[in-house]
Amino acid sequence: MRNRRQFLKTVAGAAAGLYAAGRPLGAQTRRQVTIGGRRVRVIDVHNHWDMPIPASIVKGTKFEEYMKGASFDDRIPTLDKMGIDIAAVSVNDFWWWETDDRGLARAICSYHNETLASWNRKHPDRIIGMASVPLQFPDLAAQMLEEAVTKHGARGVTVGGHVNGESLSLPKFDPFWAKAAEMGQLVFMHPNGSQNLLKPGALSGRGGLGNIVGNPLETTVFLSRLIFDGTFDRFPTLKVCGAHGGGYLPSYLGRTEVACGRPNQNCIIKKKPSEYMRTQILADTMVFTEDGLRHLVAEMGAGQIVFGTDIPFGWPVHVDYILDHKALSDAEKEQILGGNLMKLLRIAS
Amino acid sequence: MPNRRDFFRTVAGAAAGAYVIGRGSAPSHAQTRRQVSIGGKRIRVIDVHAHTNIPIMEVVKGTAFEKQGGGNPGLEQRLVAMDKQGVDLQALSINGFWWYGIQDRGLARAVCNAQNEGLAQWVKKYPDRFVAMASVPLQFPDLAAEILQDAVTRLGARGTTLGGHVNGESLSLEKFDPFWAKAAEMGELVFMHPGGADNIIREEAWKARGDLGNIIGNPLETTYFLTRLIFDGVFDRHPRLRVCGAHAGGYLPSYVMRTDVACEVRNNANCANKKRPKEYLRSQILIDTMIFSEEGLRHLVAEVGVGQIVYGTDNPFNWPVTVDLVLNAPFLNNGEKEQILSSNLARLLRVTSSAPAGTGSR
Repeated sequence: MRNRRQFLKTVAGAAAGLYAAGRPLGAQTRRQVTIGGRRVRVIDVHNHWDMPIPASIVKGTKFEEYMKGASFDDRIPTLDKMGIDIAAVSVNDFWWWETDDRGLARAICSYHNETLASWNRKHPDRIIGMASVPLQFPDLAAQMLEEAVTKHGARGVTVGGHVNGESLSLPKFDPFWAKAAEMGQLVFMHPNGSQNLLKPGALSGRGGLGNIVGNPLETTVFLSRLIFDGTFDRFPTLKVCGAHGGGYLPSYLGRTEVACGRPNQNCIIKKKPSEYMRTQILADTMVFTEDGLRHLVAEMGAGQIVFGTDIPFGWPVHVDYILDHKALSDAEKEQILGGNLMKLLRIAS
Repeated sequence: MPNRRDFFRTVAGAAAGAYVIGRGSAPSHAQTRRQVSIGGKRIRVIDVHAHTNIPIMEVVKGTAFEKQGGGNPGLEQRLVAMDKQGVDLQALSINGFWWYGIQDRGLARAVCNAQNEGLAQWVKKYPDRFVAMASVPLQFPDLAAEILQDAVTRLGARGTTLGGHVNGESLSLEKFDPFWAKAAEMGELVFMHPGGADNIIREEAWKARGDLGNIIGNPLETTYFLTRLIFDGVFDRHPRLRVCGAHAGGYLPSYVMRTDVACEVRNNANCANKKRPKEYLRSQILIDTMIFSEEGLRHLVAEVGVGQIVYGTDNPFNWPVTVDLVLNAPFLNNGEKEQILSSNLARLLRVTSSAPAGTGSR
């Protein structure tokens, strides 16, 4: 069974491989993306950093192994090469949700948010931070989100698909959702193999299924529960972006859409699931193919799709599959590559 | 947690419910039969996804499986629903798969034999309305192969049905190859129906609004089942094998992109498949039309091709799936509509796609 630490190790390995394969990165030219002759600003919502945490914070705790992490020094050259102007960077392992020590949890998240802020100060037009919060303490998470935004310039916040197995649709997490909704902060959700749902070992076997099936599954259940448990109704200004094209939910929406017409469904929602997909839910472009993206746009609308690369992993997602898309207009391409995120992340054009 | 017994009970309950919507408890000749035509030509609509049950109390009496002996095939009442829906022919299957839990070979054989013989009787009574898909005891792969052969040659079965796992074991394990080899050799279509992903999901995971054990659990089990057949090389070992996944093949065809790149991107993928995952979806894997929306169907056609999509209603459950989804699809030409509603399955089930001559007759 994969755990959050294994995910972390895989991130580090993939990052090392990516950088080794590159040319001397200092010599890189920056790709400038244009649509219809006009330069557009490409913004990436799905940009990981396995940030190492200093000994002064975790020495002597169960989190010592997270003192190791990935360097961020190569990120700007990578963005240059890929034609990404702005990366909304987040730390997505959520291992810090496993402590019941409020002070420790606060210290870890503060460090993440301060470090992201320092990179933002260094490269204000290239790097912005998505806040880390300690969701095992929903009130503290709300407080730290506010602090990250007002003090450290964060432009949103990142969460996993569950908090130690608990669904984020439970009312205990409402203080966090209320704060994100009130402040208009985009929530970027990133899964980690559906450990909350799966029997140990369930997705072992060929094909890397813990990732290939586990990740979209966790996102599917996360978004489905926010819909069916009424979280989106309670916080109508909330905007949540699901990684990897929102998992299976937008691509296979039909069954979810008819669920409330079936017996045993116990639905309390006020609208059809597809209406949340077209307003409060966003999905990134991690669907890789022209038809996959065409289908996402048909189900959600171009206004709900945002560019995401999953850097530093080697997935085949790049600006070209949007730029070359036959079914999208220039305006839709610009929305997807940057326009939607400029609004959501409050980036001046 | 939905388990196979719950599913089974639900079938019986839904079947009972479905009869109420018919006119009276007996088949009513007053009912008009919907005659589906495409471009003025009457076509024979064939449904791959039609649940039923056969009472076998005399077989299981006194065993631990006595509770599973009941049930009502309800086929005469079902004809009323089929007439109303415009379904000419149903491929009936029994999908509880509770008999995979039987450890006694003799009992397992007797249960599957009784089901296959019971289904054959119904087919004999209404030969132009039903064909049967065989039940097999997959916990004994060699016996499953033998019973499949017997059901086809002696009882006229057209294909076979199975669940997404056998007591938690993936059907891609080599121990199941005797069954796959037989189905491939005989050219029998395999219809797979899930039971809420209880092979992979923690017990408490679906305690939630929205009936997620069905809404997510069923497509998930099918996704996992088909994905393992691909990555473990079952389709390569048996290139003539044809497997149909219920509920539009789960998530796999609609969200095939991540699966299609897995072997290149994931350094731990350890893939045994010889071709790209999508190539199996376009050749050996079939899926039904349980997708409910025009856009969903359009996407399926784009990903797997019209030749891989077959009509399925999930009768007697009350899902909003009708022939009109296919008939009104603006992106399909008449030939493609006929493929989906009729001719793909006619070939796979070895039935004629010619429409019945008379009207309203049974």
